[in-house]
Amino acid sequence: MSSRSFRSVFMVASCAGAALGCYLVSLRVASERAQLEEVETKIVLAQRDMRVLQTEIGTRGRLSQLERWNAGAFALSAPAADQLLKGGFELARLAQPEHKVDFQAPVVLASAPAPARPSPMVEPEMDDSGAPTAVAPNALLHEASLKTEMREVPARSVVKLPLTAATSTDKPAIAAKPAHAKSVEKPGLAAAHPSAKKDAVKTVSAPPKKTVDKPVVAAAKPVTKPVRIARVDPLAPLPAKHSGQSRETTADR
Amino acid sequence: MNAPSPALVAPRPERLRLVGQRRQLLAVMHQRLMFGMLVYAGIVAIIALRLLYLAAFGDHAGRKEGLTALIPERGDIVDRNGDPLARTIDAWTIAIHPNKVIGDKLALARRLAQLMPEQNEEQYFALLKSGKPFFYLRRRASPSLVEAVNALGEPGLAIQREPDRLYPQTTLAAHVLGFTDIDGHGAAGIERAFDKQLSDTSSRGEPVTLSIDSRIQQALEHELGSAMSQFSAIGAAGVVMDVHTGEVLAMTSMPTFNPNAAGQGTPEQIFNRATLGVFELGSTFKPFTLAMAMDSGVVSGPGQIYNCPNVLPAYGHLIHDTHPFGRQCSVAEIMMESSNIGMGQIANQLGITRQKAWLKKMGFLDKPEIELRERGRPLTPGSRWGPFETMTIGYGQGIAVAPLQLAMGYATLFDNGVYHPPTILKRGPHNPLPAGRRVFSEETSYKMRALLRLVVVKGTGKKADAPGYRIGGKTGTAQKIINGHYSKTVNLTSFAGVFPMDDPRYVIVVMLDEPKATKDTYGFTTAGWNAAPVVSRTVSRIAPMLGIIPDTNREPNMAEVLPFVQEAKKAAKQSSDKD
Repeated sequence: MSSRSFRSVFMVASCAGAALGCYLVSLRVASERAQLEEVETKIVLAQRDMRVLQTEIGTRGRLSQLERWNAGAFALSAPAADQLLKGGFELARLAQPEHKVDFQAPVVLASAPAPARPSPMVEPEMDDSGAPTAVAPNALLHEASLKTEMREVPARSVVKLPLTAATSTDKPAIAAKPAHAKSVEKPGLAAAHPSAKKDAVKTVSAPPKKTVDKPVVAAAKPVTKPVRIARVDPLAPLPAKHSGQSRETTADR
Repeated sequence: MNAPSPALVAPRPERLRLVGQRRQLLAVMHQRLMFGMLVYAGIVAIIALRLLYLAAFGDHAGRKEGLTALIPERGDIVDRNGDPLARTIDAWTIAIHPNKVIGDKLALARRLAQLMPEQNEEQYFALLKSGKPFFYLRRRASPSLVEAVNALGEPGLAIQREPDRLYPQTTLAAHVLGFTDIDGHGAAGIERAFDKQLSDTSSRGEPVTLSIDSRIQQALEHELGSAMSQFSAIGAAGVVMDVHTGEVLAMTSMPTFNPNAAGQGTPEQIFNRATLGVFELGSTFKPFTLAMAMDSGVVSGPGQIYNCPNVLPAYGHLIHDTHPFGRQCSVAEIMMESSNIGMGQIANQLGITRQKAWLKKMGFLDKPEIELRERGRPLTPGSRWGPFETMTIGYGQGIAVAPLQLAMGYATLFDNGVYHPPTILKRGPHNPLPAGRRVFSEETSYKMRALLRLVVVKGTGKKADAPGYRIGGKTGTAQKIINGHYSKTVNLTSFAGVFPMDDPRYVIVVMLDEPKATKDTYGFTTAGWNAAPVVSRTVSRIAPMLGIIPDTNREPNMAEVLPFVQEAKKAAKQSSDKD
């Protein structure tokens, strides 16, 4: 009885509650949106401030002003051609110890041959830095026609200065004329060499276009080329006292 | 409402009448009340509905309009790396309403003259007494001045913020950017060419991205400016251009002006020599003639021999050389020593028709195709174009083009012979690279590399060399026409260079107007002494930024030209004897 009589009241109350709930949701949404807008406005205002500051800094530090400071105070200049290196290999070359010749080292004949091997010239494997890995120095040596048993390096020199000897094995230094002697006969043509190579390519097909972009590979190549037989013992100790006379041999490299 | 029932008491007739009237009256009153209530309820309902609607969909009171995105009054102009070259800022403006001034006008005029001394106090006083409604006192005032003026406390003074165009790099690339007039519309350069895009509401949010690189522009302007002052030249122009895309990386004209105060610039300063000015650029034209001759089959290669006497009589005129051979000489030597006599003969063999057709194909007979409005029309002999004019055009006299066009020609020649129109906007989705137009054959383009490198290695352009960057190019010394005659002493020198020559990527053109001889140039005013060193210095600065790795072991194939150079052999022998 009572429930029936209060039914309308409940209906009104629930309707009012639902309406209130809806209103609260919409109020919440509106307030969230207002906050978002506030943040957006703050962002835009901050952007405007940043723009103003950037403009001011850019104007104060304009390029002509920097140039004036550079001319007056810093005197910095663009790097010269020889100040730029083309890769890790050239950088490593700068740190290489200077090769010196020891005149008291045991004399080894220039024509002394290595023991016979079917194919001495194999392309050495390269690692990332462009240096050959896991290639025995003997594999780089050319064969000569005359054979004597005296070629092998005496072990005592290795005992004396193992460190320098180890580095110098990479490069069997001064040699008699190598097998492909042509480039050595014309020392000045070192500069013309790449262009001559390019010419050869051109006669075959179209001219090579993007060779400039790969200087690292080009620089790394000569590592395998100058294989020469030692006139001097490559593993001999290298004392520092003859540094003056070593000029011409180092220049030969 | 509670009327007594008529059955109980017999009413008097008057009373009955009264009851009937009252009932009527009540009915009317009820009607009116009901109506008023409905109206009232309706209004309440409308207000309630409106409130509900506003609560659900309406804006709140604190909402700020128009700040949802940052759109400047006028679009920015940025360089290819995004560095701003032109921006619109809110600048302080000081103005006055003379009618609203309430303080002592004489004292105010005195204070204003102290703060802003561009006018004296009588002028300020006259202005205050004039009775006119509004005057600008200062636009783009400094904050300290604004503070001082504000401290005067005069209500007639109006201090406002107004959008104003600012060029942060001041004079950098002034001729490319141009400037705006007092209403904020472009009056020159990019500001004029892209005025619509920069001021339109829908497009001004996006900056206009130029192909200019401000670092390269600065290097070019600095080196060119120091050469201009060193040689006391009256003007200079320079262009750096990408060979493959036609993008202009730097373009300058000197003397220059400050676009922030463009009104102070003289017409001489505002004139853009790089695109609007046309000049007879002299020997820098020779590579084009040679390329035309090679492509037409007139010249077979750098080894072809011409007779090069000391003076060549041609069609009633005499052609002279600065370095006369007086013997047979090869095409390579003609290029190397920049021989007018040799090149004149080549042009003569080419003939008028073919020369015109080639020049048309290269775009040298029309205005340069660039977005700027300041473009000069080339000057040609026109109807007087005879065989002798063909010869002189062959070595660059008798045709006047803009320095930009010269750069465009070199870009065409060394982009494997394909022409791309030059552009001042960065290539990208908005400005794609159009399909080129083949002008020269690939083979000719390749052959020209060694020839132009020869000029720098052994010929007139030795001072343009920058070690490791393989510059090739051609000097040009043109005599200026003074009073209708070619002057013997007043020159216009230029150098057009391409680097790196073994795989051409960039063109640089430098021009000096009337350079004077100095002690360092041993009295010479030729291009090899003044324009070429600018190229050398500029390239050694900009090439590392452009990503060119210097390499002293790399050269174009010089074996193509060196066998045909006689002088070089002798010189080499002499130098080796000296060593």
